[in-house]
Amino acid sequence: MRIQCVLILCSSIAACSQHPVVNDEMMRFEGAMPADLSGSWERNYARGDDINGALRDAYNKLSRTIPDRRGPADPRIAAPSAKDTASLLALARLTELITRPDVLTISQDTHEIRIERKDDFAMSCTFYDGVAKGTDNAYGTEICGWNGAQLVSNLVLPDGLQVTHRFDNSTDGQHLRVITTVSSGTSRVALTIRRFYTKFERPSSEFNCIETLSMKRVCSTGEIVP
Amino acid sequence: MTGINARLRTLSVPAIVMLFCSIAPQFAAAAPEPEDNATVAPDMRDVAALDVSITVFDPGVPADQSLHRDLQVFPLIREIEAKLLPFVLRESLANTGEWGAVRVVPQLDVAAELLMSGTIVRSDGITLELQIRVVDASGRIWLDKLFAGVVSDDYAQHDNESGVSGHQKLYNDIEQDLRLVRSQLGNEALNNVAEISLLRYASELAPAAFGDYLTSKSNGTIELRRLPARNDPMLDRIQRIRSTEYVITDTVDAKFRELHSEIASIYDVWREYRRKAVDYEKENARWVQATKSDAPRGSYEAIKNHYDAYKWDRLAAQEQDRLAVVFDNEVGPTIRAMESRVAELETWVEQKYAEWHRLLEELFEAETRLEDS
Repeated sequence: MRIQCVLILCSSIAACSQHPVVNDEMMRFEGAMPADLSGSWERNYARGDDINGALRDAYNKLSRTIPDRRGPADPRIAAPSAKDTASLLALARLTELITRPDVLTISQDTHEIRIERKDDFAMSCTFYDGVAKGTDNAYGTEICGWNGAQLVSNLVLPDGLQVTHRFDNSTDGQHLRVITTVSSGTSRVALTIRRFYTKFERPSSEFNCIETLSMKRVCSTGEIVP
Repeated sequence: MTGINARLRTLSVPAIVMLFCSIAPQFAAAAPEPEDNATVAPDMRDVAALDVSITVFDPGVPADQSLHRDLQVFPLIREIEAKLLPFVLRESLANTGEWGAVRVVPQLDVAAELLMSGTIVRSDGITLELQIRVVDASGRIWLDKLFAGVVSDDYAQHDNESGVSGHQKLYNDIEQDLRLVRSQLGNEALNNVAEISLLRYASELAPAAFGDYLTSKSNGTIELRRLPARNDPMLDRIQRIRSTEYVITDTVDAKFRELHSEIASIYDVWREYRRKAVDYEKENARWVQATKSDAPRGSYEAIKNHYDAYKWDRLAAQEQDRLAVVFDNEVGPTIRAMESRVAELETWVEQKYAEWHRLLEELFEAETRLEDS
């Protein structure tokens, strides 16, 4: 009887840990997209988390997961193993790398949101008839959806590695918050970092430019006829 | 009673013919044949050299947009290929000298002696797959087959032939298969195809006069029931109208030629990019494989490797999407100008066709009435 209870508990925990970040409900919506995130956004360095603070929080959280085997008279603090610490540090480095872009360009129409980042691939969330279509290749799967007015993008990679971005904007539409969580199958805790961005207008160019295959980028002060 | 019919009653038959001839003044009137032998096939032509009409291909773009990315289908490019590739096939057929007039036409023409249609199943710069269907005027299916061609590395490096780019063998295969089918048909069958073609055209244009020369069979094919006299004046008019329509068809065909000459070189640049993209994907896969086992699981190097593998593959896919748009930027205006001109020509033909149809029916009625009286 006790074994059965343990097995049920274990399977329940396993099931909970496999809850998708983006569920079916989030992958569909009706009517217009729940929020307009389009525009050019530049990083607001005065707000948001710094990676060391996020790492410290995650480390403390990790420490709390260590079973406390100290006696009542033992003053030492339970410390995570070197392996756990190394895994967490690895997540922190990757998180810092992924959240480095200081400018985001978001375009949005009735069925697609595209978030362009320097030195990284553009996150793209496409909806067909209001249902999100994931992107996958041989190396991973990207799914997305709306959690209320928050756009959620979840990238699932091998070894349990997951990168989740949550985008939402302020009521006046001038500020964007991006919460990035990186987790992996080798780390007991995930690492989360918040970045804030402010909307800006790109200066208009006096040139009209067009990309072509044969002549690359062609610019003119007048109308361009390829 | 229409106005023209009222006028016709006041004219003699030669006058009506003169009036009708003015519709197509660029063609001299043919002298009537003295004998009344029943045939409609042209006298001097080689019956094996059937005319071939190649329709603009079906781009093969799935209606479900969500499949485009997975199937590597770029709808804008496919639309262009659908207009470009039939011309390459046309050139391959015409260059053999084995066929009559080979034309690219914007729409299905069921009265064509040989009607060739195609669907682009796959076109990724390296592999080209075309589903080709060829049906003759009698409804006999000559070909319904998938043709595939792969550009070899050697060819890709040395190819300078615009618009063909290593798939000449595929076009040759289609032509050779056509020739094989033709060789299995006798001269009589081929002659029948030419006759049925003209009579199908005639029955569409003047059903009252030519509606009962052909019969449809249960298997969808069409057979000759009887033939009009060689010197049938109505048939003579039909042939003149068809010649006029061919002039327009040749003008449309020339538009496809212009399109080909204008965008073939740009199309080749696109295909070169596609070839490189496929090479890049292979290279990325090799890189992922080579660096996979080096780092311990959970280390920064290992997780960054996972992230980078996905990232570089996505970047390559997005670069292709961007290039597809760039390609359309460059050739889009040319395509749209051609479509506009072809649409003008088609509208002209449709208007004239309706006019010819009405005139022929009224002429037939007037002539029949004169014969009866």
